[in-house]
Amino acid sequence: MNKVNVSISEDQRDCYQEIANIAMGQAAALLAKLLDVKVILPIPVVNLIEVNELRMALSGIEASDKVSGVCQGFIGNRISGEALLIFNDASLGDISQLLKYPDELDTSVELELLMDVANILIGACLRGIGSQLDVTFSQGHPVVLGQHVNLPELISTNHYRWSKTLAIEINYKIEGYNINCDLLLLFAEDAINVLNNKVNYLLED
Amino acid sequence: MTDRTIENDEFKEIHSLMGMLQNLDVGLVVLDREYNIQLWNNFMESHSGMNPSEVRDQNLFSIFPEINKEWFVHKAECVFQLNTRAFTTWEQRPYLFKFKNYRPITGSAEFMYQNTTIIPMDASTGQVERIGIIVYDVTDVAVNKSELKAINEKFKRLSRTDKLSGLYNRGYWEECLGNEFKRAKRTETPSSLVVFDIDHFKQVNDVYGHAAGDIAIKFVSDALIQNIRETDIAGRYGGEEFAAILIDTKAEEAAVFAERMRQFIEDSSIRYYQEEFKFTISIGIAQLTQDTDSAHQWFELADSALYQAKEKGRNQVQIADPEK
Repeated sequence: MNKVNVSISEDQRDCYQEIANIAMGQAAALLAKLLDVKVILPIPVVNLIEVNELRMALSGIEASDKVSGVCQGFIGNRISGEALLIFNDASLGDISQLLKYPDELDTSVELELLMDVANILIGACLRGIGSQLDVTFSQGHPVVLGQHVNLPELISTNHYRWSKTLAIEINYKIEGYNINCDLLLLFAEDAINVLNNKVNYLLED
Repeated sequence: MTDRTIENDEFKEIHSLMGMLQNLDVGLVVLDREYNIQLWNNFMESHSGMNPSEVRDQNLFSIFPEINKEWFVHKAECVFQLNTRAFTTWEQRPYLFKFKNYRPITGSAEFMYQNTTIIPMDASTGQVERIGIIVYDVTDVAVNKSELKAINEKFKRLSRTDKLSGLYNRGYWEECLGNEFKRAKRTETPSSLVVFDIDHFKQVNDVYGHAAGDIAIKFVSDALIQNIRETDIAGRYGGEEFAAILIDTKAEEAAVFAERMRQFIEDSSIRYYQEEFKFTISIGIAQLTQDTDSAHQWFELADSALYQAKEKGRNQVQIADPEK
């Protein structure tokens, strides 16, 4: 395994948080526009974690909750990573109401919901981050990680090639609804130094 | 260099770029705000059998009525209004355009599974005027995944089933018993356990042979499958021993079912080659009570009722005494 020494300073962490804040706000604005609701914005949590600690990064979701999730890879300018969108299953009823899907929720309608929200949130967040760092990300096709499973089943931490990842967790909530979804942006270990250089430019200004 | 040659070079470059796009083995479609087709590449032409001049400025939904308009518009409007990409996977809908499988001879799928990406275009003014659809052929991935799922399910079923009788095997049946014990205890609904045993089975084997014994077992299993309700859980517990969990059933009601089974077996005779033989079964029943502490104890109660039925002369039904 390639051993890359990676770390982030406090200043860099603040900078990532600020970048995420702006991107997340843009994504939330789109979501609010689509659903005609008020999106409650949390403070994004930025952490450099071991990949096998991924579960801990999902602080907004209990390990015992039933969840559904999709995952989408992205890459641009030597910065690669994955976006994970994880829904608490308890949220699905309220989301279907908002997206005006028929009352009856089955696995296929739930998949539509998951994909709709993933398209908006992941796309907008990546664009927001990309525009601040002057990177255009290519996005792979989203993959359904699982529906109605426990968190550990959803993100089984086998065969990871990287030991460290820069994780940005954004926990979205919608005012007046029981909707809880976690967007996790994970940057690969070898992308972190590239990202650090980029934010150093911003910090110099 | 004259202006003319620069123009020529640019023209050449655009031309070769267009050639690449044409030959790219993914579908490319551009739609305007009214969903009229503006661009249609070679992939789309080959698979649909319609050339670009035929489809140009035609409405997508009138040319392809099989596209679920409501669904597609829902996705596309997000792209138009929010200026963001949208992705659809074959897991949502197998395809957007109903095309034949790329491998019509050796491919097992009838049609092409597709993933699509919908991208906003011409958004310089902030207003998305057109959208692009990229269609990927993902038939192999989809078929492999579906087959894997089917095989896993088959293995799961096989690992639960007793081969000779077609009933659940002992391991899985015991798992079900444990679950039903917990469920019935929690919901406080009646639930009865019925165990059967073929009388003098050893004699059947000794006189007519093991193959005849197998036929007797299959006969009882078939009768059991035909007589239980869909929610009841029947298993082959041992060599000639069977068990059924009757959900939402009191012991007296279970006895009616058991008596019907007993009578049916007594009245039947089995033909094996030239020979015809008859046999009987004994049955023990135990209804779950508040005093029953475990699934194991529940089974013991039914099994001891079966033992009593045997003691009393076989070919009869015995309900366990809840006082004991």
